[in-house]
Amino acid sequence: MKNVRVFFEKHGSCKYISHLDTNRVMLRAIGKSRLNIWYTEGFNRHAYITFALPLSLGFASTCESMDFRILDDDEDLSSVPERLNACLPEGIRVYRCIESVHKPADIESAEYDITLEDTSDNISAKELSDKLNAFLELPEILVDKKTKKGMKQVDLKQYILDFRMKDPEKTSFTLTLPAGATLNINPNLLINAFAEYVSAELYADITRTGVYIKGGEDFA
Amino acid sequence: MYPKEIEKLLLKVQKPGRYVGGELGEVIKDKRDVDVRFAFCFPDTYEIGMSHLGIKILYSLFNEKPYIWCERVFAPWIDMEAQMREHDIPLYALESGDPISDFDFIGFTLQYELSYTNVVNMLDLGGIPLLSKDRHGLEHIVVAGGPCACDPEPIADFIDIFFLGDGEEVDLEVIELYRECKREGRSRAEFLRLAANIKGVYVPSLYDISYNEDGTINAITPLDGAPEVIEKRVMMDMDESFYPDNFVVPNIEIVHDRAVEEIFRGCIRGCRFCQAGFLYRPVREKSVECISRQCHALCRNTGYDEVSLSSLSSSDYSQVVPLLKELNSWAKPENVSLSLPSLRVDGFTDDILDEIKTVRKSGLTFAPEAGSQRLRDAINKNVREDELINTCRVAFEGGYTTVKLYFMIGLPTETMDDVADIANLGRKVVDTFYSAENRPKGKSPRVTVSASSFVPKPFTPFQWEPQDSMDTLREKQRHIKESITTKKITFNYHDSDTSFLEAVFARGDRRLGKAVLEAHKRGMRFDGWSDCFSLQNWLEVFEDCGIDPTFYANRRRSFDEILPWDHLDYGIKKSFLKRECERAYNSETSPNCREKCLGCGAAKYGGGVCFEKR
Repeated sequence: MKNVRVFFEKHGSCKYISHLDTNRVMLRAIGKSRLNIWYTEGFNRHAYITFALPLSLGFASTCESMDFRILDDDEDLSSVPERLNACLPEGIRVYRCIESVHKPADIESAEYDITLEDTSDNISAKELSDKLNAFLELPEILVDKKTKKGMKQVDLKQYILDFRMKDPEKTSFTLTLPAGATLNINPNLLINAFAEYVSAELYADITRTGVYIKGGEDFA
Repeated sequence: MYPKEIEKLLLKVQKPGRYVGGELGEVIKDKRDVDVRFAFCFPDTYEIGMSHLGIKILYSLFNEKPYIWCERVFAPWIDMEAQMREHDIPLYALESGDPISDFDFIGFTLQYELSYTNVVNMLDLGGIPLLSKDRHGLEHIVVAGGPCACDPEPIADFIDIFFLGDGEEVDLEVIELYRECKREGRSRAEFLRLAANIKGVYVPSLYDISYNEDGTINAITPLDGAPEVIEKRVMMDMDESFYPDNFVVPNIEIVHDRAVEEIFRGCIRGCRFCQAGFLYRPVREKSVECISRQCHALCRNTGYDEVSLSSLSSSDYSQVVPLLKELNSWAKPENVSLSLPSLRVDGFTDDILDEIKTVRKSGLTFAPEAGSQRLRDAINKNVREDELINTCRVAFEGGYTTVKLYFMIGLPTETMDDVADIANLGRKVVDTFYSAENRPKGKSPRVTVSASSFVPKPFTPFQWEPQDSMDTLREKQRHIKESITTKKITFNYHDSDTSFLEAVFARGDRRLGKAVLEAHKRGMRFDGWSDCFSLQNWLEVFEDCGIDPTFYANRRRSFDEILPWDHLDYGIKKSFLKRECERAYNSETSPNCREKCLGCGAAKYGGGVCFEKR
């Protein structure tokens, strides 16, 4: 039995599949692909799959991962992406399958490509970019964050691990935030705070582009 | 692919996955390569519509033809509708993202009367003229089928063509005719006139209805050479009948999220309240071999690990145990589970339990429909109390603790004693649990008693009966509640308000079209959803339109009255329905189709159960 991790992209109409539904889509794909994977042995036997870092509804991603166990030690992992892709909707594409290296708990941060737009078109993209730069220069960015123990006020400023404006003409930028089971900051927290700061309704096109462990190494 | 403009709206609405398509199994064609575009509209949400078997069959059937592209359209939920109206986004089909006004056919399936306002609202959202008479040119042919097409008069003003009976052949014949007419440059009127001569096609605009002073119908007169009587279509050989080997597999969870295999059409029972039991006669079964092959292909192609065997009464399938054994020969090793809904109390045996117990052990549901034996006889339910109690004992000894019992109140001939017997029967089931030898130790039973309000329907022996008034129904609900003395029983009941509106439309005539249009203008839709339904608003609409809804819901018709659906022929003779109604008054049961033929008229189709050896 091998512990296997597949990496996949999620985009287009599949951005709107919630985490729970993604789980169901994957279970059906595995069933249809007839991959010989490990099933739970309880009363409701089902294929055993886990996801290292769930993705929010509405986000695209180039770096999602899913873990399962393959029963046959001699299984050729390089054929797995193709077999699964034949059984998945267009918006989910598996591009790699490896024996898992890291543990999901090792994940420390994630990177996002974000493009913002004022839905009412009152603020131009250039202006929005300038305002964003100014916003991130504020001494603190206080927001209410839902935690397991209720609402808590946090300063997001300390959590911005990296920020790079890629194209000020489009308000396109890259943002790295803490991610994982212990501390997870959703980029929407920052975007909502910024929307309040500029008093506008913003549309955010968000793609997760990287998941990292300690030291910025790719999660594998 | 969804239209680009909606991307920014999607994250503002609940369940955006409803509006984007892109599922495995969806059919994408190049619109330049097809002659006919068909928008298959389900007048309810995505999760409901995608669970419906008819749409799956017809979607695959149409798309098998290279010259047709059939796409799916669902009613947007109110939050999405608000966004679409605000941003001027017309109702679009999920596959292409094109507005439905780009389509040749806009087809609706009519599963329940309370979806009529959604039909009109969807036309409106699509920018299609609402009334049939306002649509010109050979485009936007609005068609509808499904059970409510058996009395389609309340929405006859909005629909160009109704399909009666099984759709597999007649739909394609009409599409083919349209294609010819388009090629030959014929007019819309010519096309409709030609279509009216295809068996199973009802073009309501070709019929004139006149009324008597008392509001009843005087005459139904065909115009322009349309047939006097429109006969339903029937697929007689179910093994040869088209069945999809793949479904569009939704990316978000839907109501019935599993593979579905139809095992037979029709029902042998003839329960007198049940419209489906008469509309779909005669019973036509698929063979074990055919069902197994189709199920296997479906599971392989969709990836579903659960398959539901669908019919009006699964345990009446003549080979039910051999079927389950055959299915389990591949289903078990492939981790596929079987579910067998619509089990009858008297059809639940140890053998069946053994075969389906391998699956999830959820609760069991039975529908005795009435509390007393006398009333069960009057409605011809033909389930005896001792059978129900024995079945529950088998289930409890098999490890089940939860039983749901479905009843109806307001049935013809019902007395308050019959109503109290609903509670009594629930109590007897609870007692059965405690007297069962091998009951689950340390657990207590949960019995749910549900009571819905009876709605008299066309083509049933009760089609002439009045519905109980809402006050009477509420009194009966109270009476059950007060008669329940144990906490092991949970009592649920359906709102009598929606049942009243359902009763108005179920046996309505063409004059109700005015009310449907007015209700739409006042923003009413999703009447089947308690979030949206308001009886008060409807009563105002009726009042303002000069319509008395009780004329339709609560009036007893005489046997010789001309009924709004008298020109539609579902193979069931009126004389037979009358005979059955009179037997109900005497609390007399009738044998089922396998026991004895009662001469209902369905034998004229020349097959099915009518010609089985008895």
